[in-house]
Amino acid sequence: MRNVLAIALAILADAVRRKVVYVVFALAALMAIAIPGLPSYGVGVVGSVFREVAIALTYVGALVLALALAANRIPGEIERRTVYNVLSKDVRRWEYLAGTWLGIWVVVGAAICMFTVVDQVIAFLQYGDPMFVLWEGSLGVLLEMGALIAFAVAVSTRTGPVVVAVASGAFLFAVHSRSSLAAEGTLVWRLFPSFDSFNVINPVAHGDGVSAGQVAVMTAAFVAWVVGLLAVGHIAFRERDL
Amino acid sequence: MTHTSMREAGPAEVVEGADAALSIRGARKEYSSLAGKRVVVDGVGITVPAGAIHGLLGHNGAGKTTTLKMLLGLVRPTDGVFEVFGEPAASRVAKRRVGFMPEQPYFPPQLSAGQALALYGRLKGLSRAEIAEETTRLLDLLGLRDARRTQLAKYSRGMLQRLGLAQALLGGPDVLVLDEPASGLDPIGQRDVRNLMLDLKSRGVTILLSSHQLSEVEAICDRVTIMANAKVAAEGHIDDLLNTAGRCSVRARDLGAELPPPIAALVDDVAVSGGVWVFSVADSAVREVVDLVADVGGRLVSVTPKRESLEDYFARLLEQTRHGGSGVDA
Repeated sequence: MRNVLAIALAILADAVRRKVVYVVFALAALMAIAIPGLPSYGVGVVGSVFREVAIALTYVGALVLALALAANRIPGEIERRTVYNVLSKDVRRWEYLAGTWLGIWVVVGAAICMFTVVDQVIAFLQYGDPMFVLWEGSLGVLLEMGALIAFAVAVSTRTGPVVVAVASGAFLFAVHSRSSLAAEGTLVWRLFPSFDSFNVINPVAHGDGVSAGQVAVMTAAFVAWVVGLLAVGHIAFRERDL
Repeated sequence: MTHTSMREAGPAEVVEGADAALSIRGARKEYSSLAGKRVVVDGVGITVPAGAIHGLLGHNGAGKTTTLKMLLGLVRPTDGVFEVFGEPAASRVAKRRVGFMPEQPYFPPQLSAGQALALYGRLKGLSRAEIAEETTRLLDLLGLRDARRTQLAKYSRGMLQRLGLAQALLGGPDVLVLDEPASGLDPIGQRDVRNLMLDLKSRGVTILLSSHQLSEVEAICDRVTIMANAKVAAEGHIDDLLNTAGRCSVRARDLGAELPPPIAALVDDVAVSGGVWVFSVADSAVREVVDLVADVGGRLVSVTPKRESLEDYFARLLEQTRHGGSGVDA
């Protein structure tokens, strides 16, 4: 675990110095500030619209950041050979993968937190309501991004950044297509890999918030996706000659 | 030093030593593709006793770096045994005892030297206090103290090379694997690295050194393994490899215009320039020749064991290997 944390810490320190983190954050903040300028839909609806758009912006910002960090991290380290200095030490390859995933996920999580705080500040200034329920939406985004980062990290053990980005986009499309491709309740629907459990826009934007049961389901899905994808990544990476 | 045997172009049998710090036996790496099988390392064996400096030489593509990478777990061997102090080289116990400096080391460019060593120190299992102490000591040792907080993106190639050595030395490893450690360094830097290696050796550190700089290898290595076309072409003590059939080179002056006949009868390869005679003498006749020089009123300038330079030996060996046709399977 010590090695996993050391690698994650290095990624965190690296991300702080990268411009992409600040660019994504600034863009998301600008867009959040612009949300109140959207047409009013009447009393009671404007808050829902704000929450829905805020979660969507958080999602897009986190997605861009996750792919920017995950797609090139391992291919870049292999190409520049900085990975030699790490893996020649007492570091297992799975520790390197897990540390890389953890570091990127923490960076994306920190960005999601910042987006949410900005959204709350704007909501409070505009509507007098800090909308704490936005944190429940951010949790869904954070967990989904964790699974997506695990996929990108796994693919990046064998390919370059362009393939990782394209494959991640295709993967994201696929895991959000279950309801379009299979009838609910059928065997195909049950077996179809899906990120639906992370989708909390309705309860956050239009309902009473996310239930404890759904948080448990989201967390279980998150753990299963991350462990499964990182295991696949490890199998791919352990056989690779560096 | 327990091993003095020498072999050329022989099989990769191993000279076992009870105190072997590094042992590679039957190392093989092959890559398969649609075009066929390509063997890049074939039956390589290297044994390095504790506290020795062992040179690994070979032309580009001979298989040196792949052999080192297999030892360090960066490349999966097709076959072979890799051990550090009797433990499998891939084990945690073994890895903790090894420091590695890759050829042309790279580091995350946005880090400073202090930050990079802190990262690698954590991976070495050092505590915060140990990292701080080691960082200061190693940056001082390698002349990077003033650049401790400079971003590595601004480092010169030579500075990165020194930092590569510093990260390899973190935690005081018992075994150092160095791939071209003096590459990119100016002459002063090369001398410093050479002295550092000798200093480490005097403290019992075992060094496996891959280098193209034959003068460096000749100056500091106890034994060398020469690889050619994926195989071990020669292995042995450097003096044994370079010694030319037990002969010495004698230089003397004031012997007159003609070499005195008693001396001429015992020597060959005679040359004279600027009044200095140079000739080759069998080891067994050196004493007699020295006495004869004194008898005829000459002055002895030097007597040195006659041997090839490592460059000459290396070139000759590669030429032989090429004509021998051994090496890479197609």
